Amino acid sequence: MGFPRGRSGGFRGGRGDGGGRGGRGGRGGGGGRFGDRGSAMKVRGGGRGGRGFGGGGGGRGRGGGRGGGMKGGNKVVVEPHRHGGVFIAKGKEDAIVTKNLVPGEAVYNEKRISIQNEDGTKVEYRVWNPFRSKLAAAILGGVDEIYIKPGARVLYLGAASGTTVSHVSDIVGPTGVVYAVEFSHRSGRDLVNMAKKRTNVIPIIEDARHPSKYRMLVGMVDVIFSDVAQPDQARILALNASYFLKAEGHFVISIKANCIDSTQPAEAVFQSEVNKLKQDQFRPSEQVTLEPYERDHACVVGGYRVAKKSKSAS
Amino acid sequence: MSSLRNAVNRRAHKERAQPHARKKFGLLEKHKDYVERAQAFHKKEDTLRKLKEKAAFRNPDEFYFKMIKTRTVDGVHKLESEANKYTPEELMLMKTQDMGYILQKLQSEKKKIEKLAAVLHSVDDQQSNRHVYYAEDREEAKEIQLHSLKSTSVPTNDVSNDSKRKTSTSYRELEARRNRVSQLEKLYMDMALQKELQKKGRKRKLREDEIVCPTSKPVYKWRPERKR
Repeated sequence: MGFPRGRSGGFRGGRGDGGGRGGRGGRGGGGGRFGDRGSAMKVRGGGRGGRGFGGGGGGRGRGGGRGGGMKGGNKVVVEPHRHGGVFIAKGKEDAIVTKNLVPGEAVYNEKRISIQNEDGTKVEYRVWNPFRSKLAAAILGGVDEIYIKPGARVLYLGAASGTTVSHVSDIVGPTGVVYAVEFSHRSGRDLVNMAKKRTNVIPIIEDARHPSKYRMLVGMVDVIFSDVAQPDQARILALNASYFLKAEGHFVISIKANCIDSTQPAEAVFQSEVNKLKQDQFRPSEQVTLEPYERDHACVVGGYRVAKKSKSAS
Repeated sequence: MSSLRNAVNRRAHKERAQPHARKKFGLLEKHKDYVERAQAFHKKEDTLRKLKEKAAFRNPDEFYFKMIKTRTVDGVHKLESEANKYTPEELMLMKTQDMGYILQKLQSEKKKIEKLAAVLHSVDDQQSNRHVYYAEDREEAKEIQLHSLKSTSVPTNDVSNDSKRKTSTSYRELEARRNRVSQLEKLYMDMALQKELQKKGRKRKLREDEIVCPTSKPVYKWRPERKR
């Protein structure tokens, strides 16, 4: 059993940091919903997810023995997604993935897929779990634009343990930058550990309600992603946007209806939040519900301080 | 030497068959067949003899309790009844252990589903969620409408048959596991109900018209009991 895997040593490493028994934590989500933000970074059961599966050509050691014929072709096909920096892996899995900025490392024990190019170079991708990331759920929900693309500067509010942040950092790549704001020290610790390996992530353990406290760390950004799940999240977003978001920049906000008003129906809550955003110089352009992955969640995307369209232009 | 002899052609040996007239007796018996038959016969003979001897030398005073606890019905020996083999406490414990096993399997299955679902996103399928666009005015709304109609066309994918087959296998596995979880859950609920029913406390089964939220399953109601 051990031999073929031994080759991809990095995968083994992934297993170590996860820890098998830690998985107990994931049990709470057993009711069918796969964990919430709060428990997001608790290592889930298996702990072996990071082992990968030698997806790439000779990953399993077959190519080596045979001298690599055509037979050792990729078991997984990776093709680019509509959104820049996001890819779709087809094979044993059918998943959206991002190109791993730090090959050989998994952040939350997610599965990794390494693909061998024609010229022999290897590229590693990480599977993006929509059950643990609202942004992935929104992408799978068919959102038209996320504005988070290679080279973008992103302010991420509510970074939690850095699960999604790691994928955002994959997307923006080495030329972009992600400012990840998280208030909780506990999950902030994981965030900082993740940021140690990713140079384009700047972790900020601070309350997103007081952007003045971290104004020295953050430059102007192209996109703000907000996933704070607070009743006043529209205000938090507006406050941060006034400090850091460039004019004609964009925002992506995930709204959890229960966190804002659990007595109202979800649709009404989304509508009221969108109206609040409109009052703060935001112009929402679209909204998707995150249906199969999250209940009563929506993701709203739009622009900030968008110039009024002149009649002659159209 | 013998190998040389073997090289010389020899006439094929033909076994004697049962004469046609005696066909009704089946195949012609050879000595080795006879030996087998005779051995079987003598074995049975021996057994009978031994049993007869045992009966002849039987001690009339010999007694075992099984002689009165069990009996023969129509020549078939009936064993002791095992209805009360275990005490209620033991039975309860065994049921708890069964439930524990089912629960364990349920949880491991759920974990597997979680793992599979993490890598199976149904990327090509139509989504079941709501997608709302916000427009400033009518013109923009029309534009968006046109745009969204265009973009609904399914992208062509040039994925090989092999990986398609693998994907569908994975989806089938996920589906099968989900079915299994639902079955296990049902089983667990049933067992939990049975366990509760065995406990003390006055209860009764509700009639059809008394059930508030209709189910096909039986519903029980416990009499409220004052606890100090």
